[in-house]
Order: sequence, then structure tokens, then C-alpha cells
Amino acid sequence: MLAYYLALGLRHLRQSPILTGLIVVTLAVGVAASMSTLTVLRAMSGDPIPEKSDRLFTPNLDNRPDDGSSRDPRPPEMLTYRDAVALKNAKPGLRKSSVMRISPVIAPSRTDVKPFFGDGISVHADFFKMMDVPFVQGGPWSEADDARGNHVVVLRESMAEKLFGDAEPVGKTLHLDTYDATVTGVVSDAWEPVPRFYRLVSGPPPFRGVEDLFIPWSTAIANEMQPQGNVNCFTDPAPDAPPGYEGLKQSECIWVQFWVELASASDAPAYRDFLDGYVAEQRKLGRFPLPTNNKLFDVQGWLDVNKIVSKDTRLQTYLAFGFLLVCLVNCIGLLLAKFTARSGEIGVRRALGAPRRAIFKQYLVESGVVGLVGGAAGLGLTFASLWFLRKQSDEFAVLAKMDWMMLAITLVVAVVASLLAGILPTWRACQVQPALQLKSQ
Amino acid sequence: MLVMKKLSKVYRTENIETHALRGFDIHVREGEFVAVTGPSGSGKTTFLNIAGLLEDFTSGEYHLDGQDVRGLGDVARSRLRNEKIGFIFQSFNLIPDLNLFHNVDVPLRYRGMSRGERRERIEASLAQVGLASRMKHYPAELSGGQQQRVAIARALAGGPRLLLADEPTGNLDSQMARSVLELLEEINSRGTTILMVTHDPELAARANRNVHIIDGQVSDLVHEPVLRAAAAPATATP
Repeated sequence: MLAYYLALGLRHLRQSPILTGLIVVTLAVGVAASMSTLTVLRAMSGDPIPEKSDRLFTPNLDNRPDDGSSRDPRPPEMLTYRDAVALKNAKPGLRKSSVMRISPVIAPSRTDVKPFFGDGISVHADFFKMMDVPFVQGGPWSEADDARGNHVVVLRESMAEKLFGDAEPVGKTLHLDTYDATVTGVVSDAWEPVPRFYRLVSGPPPFRGVEDLFIPWSTAIANEMQPQGNVNCFTDPAPDAPPGYEGLKQSECIWVQFWVELASASDAPAYRDFLDGYVAEQRKLGRFPLPTNNKLFDVQGWLDVNKIVSKDTRLQTYLAFGFLLVCLVNCIGLLLAKFTARSGEIGVRRALGAPRRAIFKQYLVESGVVGLVGGAAGLGLTFASLWFLRKQSDEFAVLAKMDWMMLAITLVVAVVASLLAGILPTWRACQVQPALQLKSQ
Repeated sequence: MLVMKKLSKVYRTENIETHALRGFDIHVREGEFVAVTGPSGSGKTTFLNIAGLLEDFTSGEYHLDGQDVRGLGDVARSRLRNEKIGFIFQSFNLIPDLNLFHNVDVPLRYRGMSRGERRERIEASLAQVGLASRMKHYPAELSGGQQQRVAIARALAGGPRLLLADEPTGNLDSQMARSVLELLEEINSRGTTILMVTHDPELAARANRNVHIIDGQVSDLVHEPVLRAAAAPATATP
């Protein structure tokens, strides 16, 4: 009977076209408004690396001085150079990488491209596997390159094309700041985790910008590349501290973001214990004067604590769904009018043997068919509004994108909404007294 | 076929009780063609609605084809309606946005028949009323008489034991009315029991039996000579 009800639903779309059109438009507008904002919210609050977000952790160690200068209960969001090196060299953790934003001068070999500042990060070789970075050519550098601080570089696909045109980039050299680096691999342009959780602290917004290049952490340090972003120092340098970059490395200044991949989420408590032990050891050396206040965040925890999704965004989404509710109430009224006009038909069907539940199913399916059409129209409007949003800013250009999941959600929301809106009119349709209708026709 | 004993139907509002039927007794045998007459408001349509299980009754007994219908739920009543009863209404009550084929298909859909069996029955019943060639037409494309024939085809498609007709010729001119009546007689001759409400003495006279309802009570007029006599010249007119 479902096929019969569907056929009737489709047939009745043509009946009273103005009323049907109004229902479809009302539903479509409500769906488009709510789905557009939900798409943005979902992109903002989505899991950027769902396969392993519960196994990737970033540690925060509280190395602030005990001088009452800061009452913030949260420890600093980055690590000192010394701590980053120590955690990298320590045994716990499956894979580990420091992350430091850099902006070296890139001098292309092509004469038609002038030197420019590139946006990149210096990381350890582990980073690429930790973050599941897809390569279109070549691959990451080796751990030996890490250890020796070799002059190697990984480029983003679009940057490789800019620098080398159609030529094969892997194996070619690229002049960075003061040295020539050999290209080992090219990362796909498709790799754009949203948000950029691995470099969330300081620098560009979490939903904007991509890394043009990646160089080994040790190479960046050896070449004294300046960290791009915040360098927070809680104490003055020691009187006997060396000047310049070496002084920065030995200071209590924090400027390194650090990520560790554990074999499983259940290893997190053990890693916390390791961090506490590390801090206790360092305290014996005169560091970490405050009581132990280490934090270990997985990806979702890190996004939450950094309040990636603003209250405004959530409020907009709530308002949009409120608007959808208003549209639904209107749809209920319109469906009531549509179904009431067919009381005579309902009476005939009841007289000819349709039980109430058959009428209920028929009219609920008809509501669903209207919902599907409204959903399709709503989908079109959603695409249009997302296109409009993408034109507004670079940030929206990243966030306002429809994926298959959102497409499915949009249609499901439209159909469920129309079914909900159809329940009352359908119930009313079932209450039609056939005897009254048949005589009054 | 249809037995009602001491049946009553009371419509209640806040202040008023209206007795549409009271102490209503009737026994319609299988194969009878019964004309139900009576003044407006006498309870004819209420009787027909109760007989067709479209309305419940207040007290008394009603057996349809040997089955006590009191206390039956909506699904059981709907199944009985679908399987045993065919309806013909004064205003035809065809569904305007379905063509003839699909209009006749409606009761068969609720019986859960296969597509092939439905098609067979629809074509046969439309052929029986002489409209087999117009099954793709919509009701609005037909005359009143033709629409009533479609309604009869729809009622017949399910092979009902009892046909309930409420003023089936009330909206038709005399020629069309005669043609519809002849069709009903033909159906009755094949064994289908017919209960027909009418105001028209000529039509009533052509039934096997007349039942007159006054103030919600029945008076059987099977041997009423006046109606018989009045009907005689009319039947002779071509």
C-alpha cells in the first residue's frame, strides 16, 4: 500500500497547486535557514580528525613562576623549547611532534615568480602520520632527516605548482631563507582539517589559511627561524642566560605547540602520570615552582577549551531552528486547509472500506511527499545561501560547504519536519465522519 | 442478509435528544430488492448509514450476513463494509482527480488484492455498466448518468452481497434514472441484495418490497396496492 499512498501523494501535489506551493516554499525557507546555520556550526564544531581524535593529545605544563602574577587556573597553552625537546625524546607516546609556525622567505628558481614569505610549520616527521596527511607525490622526510636537521621540505600541492609549474617537484631544490632545501613530498590540497587544531594557539584563525610548506623542526631551530605567533615569557631571562636564539631556547618562554599520539585513548592516564613525573623531576632542578597543574587534552577537549565555536554561532543556530519551528506551525495550518478540503474524498474512502489507520497512513505519506519536495527546494535554497555565505569571507569560504552528510540531514530534517507538521492535519482527517460527508457532498 | 431488532439511534446534543430511529425492526432476505421510502427526516438515511456500518447505533441488535456487528472495532467494520457492502450515493461521490479505472480501484486497494485481479475486476465491472472504453476518462468528463454508472461499477467491483443506494437517481433526469434503475434490477437479478432509499414512488414500485419509515419506525408496505398501481403505467413507458 505504501506505493499506492506515494502515488496518491504525488498525484495530489498537483491538486490545489497554490496551497501546495505555499507549503513547499514555507518548508523550504525554514529548512534552508536552519540547515545553512547548522552547516556552519557543524563545520566549526566537527571532528577534524575523527579516526583518531581520541588518541591525539596536546599536553599543557604549568611552568609559571610562583609570584601571584597569574590567577588563571589553566596552565599555559604551549611548551618551552626545553620541554618540547624532552617530551619528544621521552619514551611514552606512539608518535610525537612539535609544531611551530614559520614564515621563511621562499626564493623560487623560476624567474617569473618573485621571492615571497611562505606560510608553513616546522614539525617532526611523525606529524604526517599522526595527522593522516595525504601525499600526492613523494612522502615525508625521514627520522634521520629530523635527527640531522637536514635541509628538506614538503610542499602543499598548490605551492608546488606555483614554484615548479608542471615539472616534477620531488627531488628539486628550493631556496628557503638562507639555505637550499630538497623537496621530499607534496601534500594534497584536499588536506584541510577544519578547524586547524594542530596550530590553534596564536597565529591565523582556526578556520582560515593553509600551510604552504613543512620543514623539519630541527632544521628550523638550527637555522634560528623565528616562531610566528605568540612567545610568552613569564620571567625575565637569567643574568647568565646566553643572548639571542639560544637564550630563547633555554628560557621559560612558551612558544611550541606539541602533539602526541597514544596507542589508545586508555593510555591517557599513564601519559598524564608520565607528565606529572617529568614535572616533578624538573622541579628538583628548580623549575615548575607552582603545584603540579598539568593538563592533557584530546582533540575535542582542546577545541572545547579554546572555545572554537562562539556563543553567537550557537545562538544563530538556535534562532534558525526557532524559525524552522515557526515555518512548521504555518505548514500545519496550510496542511489542515489542504486536507480539510478533501473531507469528501476521505468520507468516500472510509465508506469503501478504508479503516482510519489507512487514512492516517495515506495522509501522513502525503505529508512526507510534500516534505520531500520542500526538502529538495530547501536543499536548493541551502546551496544558494551557503554560496552567498562563502562570498562573504575567507572563513566562511572554508566553513560554508555542504557535504553528503549535511545533504542527507537536510532531506531527513525536511521530511521529518513535514511528517511532524502533518500529524495534526492527518489525525483530523481520520476523524472525518463518512456519513456526514457523503450526504453533504 | 440484514436483521435489525429493536434498534434505536439517538443523537444527543447538550440540550436535545433526537430519536432518529426507535424500536426499528427489519429483516431483509438475501436477493431482495427493497425500496425504502418515507418523508424527509423520517430516518431513511440514518437507517442506511447504520446498515452500511457508517454510523453506530444506540441500542438494539443488528446482524449483517449472520454476523452481530455490535461492538466491532473500526478495522473489523471497515473490512465488513469493504467485503460485503457496496454503496451508491445520490451525488455519485466519485473522486474527481482519479480516472474511472482508479476510482473503481479504490475499494479493491483496501482488500489487498493482486494487481492482476484488481485489473480484471475493474475492467469487468466497468464493462458491466457499459463504460469499459472510458476507463481513462475523469469523472468531470462524463454525464451525471455515466458518473452514477461508474459509482455502480465501483460498488460492484468488490462483489458485495448487499448494495446500499441512497437516492441513486435523485440527481438524474428521467431517462438516465430509468437506465440506472434497469441496471440495479439487472444486478439484483444476479442475486445481489439491494436496499434503495428513494422519494420516487415509481422507483419504489419497481422494487420487490417497499419499506416505509415514519418517525424512525418501519412499516412494511409489500402489499400496498396504491404504489403498485401507480407504478404500472410508468413501467410501460419507454
